[in-house]
Amino acid sequence: MSMDEHELIRQVQEGNEAAFGQIVTAYKDRIVNYLYQFTGDYQKAVELAQETFVRVYFKAGQFRPIAPLSSWIYAIASNLAKTEMKKARRIPTVSLDEIAAHEVGQNAYSEDPVDSGLLKNLREALSALHPRYRLPVVLKDMEGFSQEEIAQILKKPVGTIKARISRGRRFLKTRLEKAVAGGKAVL
Amino acid sequence: MEEMDLLKKLEKVKAPPHFEQKVMARVSLRKKAAERRPAALRLSLAGAFATLLIAFVLLNIFVLQKKAPVGVADIKKGAPAAEVVPAASGQIVSVIETLDYSTEVRSRSNGAQTIYLLEQVSYTTSKEILY
Repeated sequence: MSMDEHELIRQVQEGNEAAFGQIVTAYKDRIVNYLYQFTGDYQKAVELAQETFVRVYFKAGQFRPIAPLSSWIYAIASNLAKTEMKKARRIPTVSLDEIAAHEVGQNAYSEDPVDSGLLKNLREALSALHPRYRLPVVLKDMEGFSQEEIAQILKKPVGTIKARISRGRRFLKTRLEKAVAGGKAVL
Repeated sequence: MEEMDLLKKLEKVKAPPHFEQKVMARVSLRKKAAERRPAALRLSLAGAFATLLIAFVLLNIFVLQKKAPVGVADIKKGAPAAEVVPAASGQIVSVIETLDYSTEVRSRSNGAQTIYLLEQVSYTTSKEILY
């Protein structure tokens, strides 16, 4: 953990809101993107990201500098995302038309152009992946964390994380191959 | 793995504008809610204590109040029966208690009772016992 982050979190522990604002500014895009890749819903991702930072503020006293600050923030975000996914399973699904209209709005804050067919299939495959496997795959292949860092974030053994990443990747590969073989992908 | 490289090409999003302000607003709301909680707890504890105090006072006045029995002399003087005699007077307080002896007499029956009248039939005053 950098000295700046160490000093920032120490000031947040003392109730310094300006220091907390700096942490929010530094991590907001990463956390919103991470939660979006996990949930597939931009508005939900923003809502969860806000709640993540609120919890960072009130739980700053519990942070111990044995792990990077980023791991701690991602851990809070992951727990919130898991809870939200559990709730979402009980709620009736939204129609595809609503999702399409929503994604048009989301593109206003995106960095990349609209997905091609293959990427669309990949997103669908990612949404179909169980959260247990989706979390480590997103953290590894999209956020760039190491397996040890992911193990710290998710509070699981490194061996478990390795196995889940492997299974998650295998699932995505199978789904993509089926989609390509079925001629659904438009390249 | 090629597919994992594709994952990195998935659309990335950013936080919307004024994200920090919204987070700080949430933090302020949560702080205010946290401040209100101890005040509400203090008020409810004070209310509970006040209720107990009032109940204790009322209980003492209407239920637990002890009225000392009035002595015969006081009754003759015309003192009302409900007059309270101070407990710290140090004098002996007579206790008048009515008792029902009907249950004490074993041979008592509900039927007509025989009354025996002893009548002197002789005017002699001899004290010798005659067999």
